[in-house]
Amino acid sequence: MIQKKSFLQRFVSSVDIWLIFAVSVLLLVSFCAIYSAGFTYGLSFRYIFVQLVASGAGLACLLFLAGFNYQYYKHFNKTVYVLSLVLLISVLVFGSFKRGTKGWFDFGFVSFQPVEIAKIMFVLVLAAFLDAKAKMSKSVSFLVRVFSILMGHLILIMMQPDFSSTLSYFPVTLVLLFVIDVNPFYLFCMIVFGGLAVGIPLLATFINLQFKFVQDETFLFKLATFFKNDKNIIYIIFATLVFIMGIWHFLWKLKIEIPFIYPVILCLSLLLGAVSSVPVEKSLKDYQRKRLIVFFNPNIDPKGAGYNIIQSKIAIGSGEILGKGFKKGTQTQLGFLPEQHTDFIFSVIGEEGGWLISQATLMFYFLFIWRALVIAKEARDRYGSLVAIGIATMFTFYVVINIGMVMGMMPVTGMPLPLLSYGGSSILSSLCAIGILCSISLRKHIYY
Amino acid sequence: MVWQKKDKFTYETFLIKHKAILVFFIFLFACLSFRLFYLQVINGSRYKNISEQQRIHNTRECAKRGIIYSSDNQVLAESENSYVLLYYPYLDHQKPSDQILSEISAILKKEIKPSSSIFSKYGRKVIVLAENLTLKDIFKIQEKRFKLKGVYVTKEPKRLYHFSKETSHVVGYISQIQSNEMESLSEMGYKLGDYIGRGGIEQFYDEYLQGEDGGWQIEVNAKGYKVRTSNYTLPESGNNIYSTIDLKLQHCAYKALKHSDTGRGAVVVLDVKTGAVKALVSCPGFDSNKILNKKIGKYLKDKKLPLFNRALQALYPPGSTFKVVTFAAAMDLFDINPYEAIECKGNFELGDRIYICYHKTAHGRLNLISAMAVSCNVYFYNLGLRLGIKNLEVYTRKFLFGQKTLIDLPNEKQGFIPTPEWKKAKFKIPWLQGDTLVFAIGQGAVCVTPLQMANIMSVIANKGVIHKPYVVDKILDLNGNEVYKYKETLNENKVELSSKTWEFFHKALLEVVENGTAIRCKIPGIKISGKTGTAQFPHQKDHAWFISYAPSQDPEIAMAVIVENGGGGGLNAVPIAKKIYETYFGVSTLPTLD
Repeated sequence: MIQKKSFLQRFVSSVDIWLIFAVSVLLLVSFCAIYSAGFTYGLSFRYIFVQLVASGAGLACLLFLAGFNYQYYKHFNKTVYVLSLVLLISVLVFGSFKRGTKGWFDFGFVSFQPVEIAKIMFVLVLAAFLDAKAKMSKSVSFLVRVFSILMGHLILIMMQPDFSSTLSYFPVTLVLLFVIDVNPFYLFCMIVFGGLAVGIPLLATFINLQFKFVQDETFLFKLATFFKNDKNIIYIIFATLVFIMGIWHFLWKLKIEIPFIYPVILCLSLLLGAVSSVPVEKSLKDYQRKRLIVFFNPNIDPKGAGYNIIQSKIAIGSGEILGKGFKKGTQTQLGFLPEQHTDFIFSVIGEEGGWLISQATLMFYFLFIWRALVIAKEARDRYGSLVAIGIATMFTFYVVINIGMVMGMMPVTGMPLPLLSYGGSSILSSLCAIGILCSISLRKHIYY
Repeated sequence: MVWQKKDKFTYETFLIKHKAILVFFIFLFACLSFRLFYLQVINGSRYKNISEQQRIHNTRECAKRGIIYSSDNQVLAESENSYVLLYYPYLDHQKPSDQILSEISAILKKEIKPSSSIFSKYGRKVIVLAENLTLKDIFKIQEKRFKLKGVYVTKEPKRLYHFSKETSHVVGYISQIQSNEMESLSEMGYKLGDYIGRGGIEQFYDEYLQGEDGGWQIEVNAKGYKVRTSNYTLPESGNNIYSTIDLKLQHCAYKALKHSDTGRGAVVVLDVKTGAVKALVSCPGFDSNKILNKKIGKYLKDKKLPLFNRALQALYPPGSTFKVVTFAAAMDLFDINPYEAIECKGNFELGDRIYICYHKTAHGRLNLISAMAVSCNVYFYNLGLRLGIKNLEVYTRKFLFGQKTLIDLPNEKQGFIPTPEWKKAKFKIPWLQGDTLVFAIGQGAVCVTPLQMANIMSVIANKGVIHKPYVVDKILDLNGNEVYKYKETLNENKVELSSKTWEFFHKALLEVVENGTAIRCKIPGIKISGKTGTAQFPHQKDHAWFISYAPSQDPEIAMAVIVENGGGGGLNAVPIAKKIYETYFGVSTLPTLD
């Protein structure tokens, strides 16, 4: 009986309706916002056309991937990984420069960013690996292997160099490791490592930039001069290490016996973090550093790096509850907003749609992510669950970072808002990911 | 097959983690929602304001200030349109680029020096690039409008004073409001950088002269380009003021003062019948056209104090002109026989001090009228002693000393009358008879303004009727409707003296010109009454006073002339008065031969 049903029939009858509903509403909002964003420049129709074509292609991919049994990815995970690496290497060889990164395939009439697809492939590969080796999740060698998979991608992307694209790998990896029952302590150490590696250069730049502003405030000034000295930072790290060992020793005496390996790993990750902050500091570009700084205080550089944050906050805020109306947003239409059709599309929605529409948009995103998590829960095998969670995490991460950035809660990173931002590659890869979600959802009772 | 059933334990731990992730995601979305609510609902109106501000540029077109006319309908001050080239800073273009500057200097054929950015009457920060553009320049600039981003031409009225030196003090001048004045002025609707009247009619009638500013509301995009304009309001010119100033007299008085010994002094001419100010001159004057430029610094440093309105603000000892009070008081109170003679020996002894008469060789025997005519100090010492300080003080007040005339000009000084109580409080020594002596001839701490003296003369000419002096007769709006008309409120406080006193008083004053110290003022056919004065001022040359009115039988004008440090009143102040009378009565005589 079941065999005789055509795929489309099956898709319509048993696909997750709420997921598709949320996605189609978001696409609709996207069309409106992009149309409005391009309106003054007379680019509305060009934008809409590209977006429509990309969505059409994306929907075709969605249907195709929904019909494709996701378990094949698990069986051919090595192939998928190699394929993703080939994709990333070939973009380094054949790709063309755009906005300072060599991350695009330029086909003349259309260009494509392979890193978007590579991210999804990475989720598939990582989920397959975790699912297969779940039993050894407590061992360190397991972690090392996971990280070597991760590094393969990261190094290649950093060579483009595309700093912001690498960011999404970390939350996905961490969440999946958390799900697969890796010792939370290790995850904590990883966060410490990452925090130090990025945090120290950030702090240094921040202090440097703030230096002229704090001169009159004696305490801050002293602190700043203290941190400006590299030797002092080494002392602080050394003191922290001694402190950690001391605590461990104290607890040991209290008969709270923590294996010796734990403080050692913590100390190691601290040290490594501090050490790796040096190359990170060197590789950070000036504009990236400034972006991170102005996140803390956009008024340091209101005409330059802080401009985007200030203007997009004004745009969203000035929308008030009901918004200024479609095509009537003054911030948008008079060009006060930068990159309004791509990264800052949410501020267009906020300004013209007001609180009602932008909150509703947020709700639809949440609906979408909630459905993805439900799919993860109902998946027929653990692999499916992991993939679904990975995809949900990736989307959440993008949404939080992008909308947070637009509202001045996050530093400017140049990440698109999936499904809403203008951009063929982004929308295509998003719809591909949703196709995989559908595939998992459709096969929750039976493989076919 | 299904892993939920196959490995229950693993699935359950998975469910726990799944729930944790879901809670974490909900938390993240809640954060976003809170922030969104905070930005749009709580702070929405604030951000809306900011977005409006950066979008709308209000350009302001300043209204023309009203015209000030003299009594013979000559224009004293008017406004002309001049065109200013402004730069509106926007975003990261806070200063005009070199390319714009070179482009403009090529058009105007001169070096452009942009002013520092000023927050101004145009409602926002602007940089003034050039002033006084010609129409040709404007067209050339408009042709290149697309290259010159942020550059606008704005009409700005320019104040033009036609007889600036002569009328500088009575007309006043205008200058921009400074930031330290804003506190009191902002309530009255003035904005920083607005022009406001300073001194004279410009200040006192500022609210009439100010028009309503108009302007464009321009919507600009982020790059500073004009997107559309809306709402043009036509500026409304201010009202025109018709003053009582007689330009001929004003001019003549200024010229005469200018050519006096020191070139410093003041003249006030009043219409005896109405109180209208016919001339009010303080010399040296200043060029009110140039005071806006850097010249004000030069004026401030000038030792001759050209910015100081001597007619209203300078306080001088009245000297012998004060004898009119002593005279009137003695006549009124004691019924003195005016022909009773007193011997003047050239000095006067009181206690162990000797008070001398200015006439060192002594006047000989004098009666009251001749004493007035030759201004004998000894005679008036005697009168002063007889009157006593109390009586003198009463009459001094009666003659309006020590109080403002309430003329419609700003910053008038009220002068000062010393009293025994004041001396006691100030110097801790009692009032002595010697003080009374000095007071009786207008020396000591008593001080007056030239305007007060002219006013007193006018009162005397009127036999006690007081007319408040005024400068502005009427104010008409653009359509010729009367907005303001001077209406005299008759002063109840008449200076009451017996008719006999008035009779001898006028006789004595006439005698001063006919046969006395002011003989140089004699004009054939016209009888003039007056009193000279030589006010001694410590460590300086004497001030020369002459107060007078004419014609004696039916007075028309009263005047006060003072030449600062001019020496003797009869020598230096009187000829100035004569010139003014000649101009007024239209007679010209050959220079008096003496």
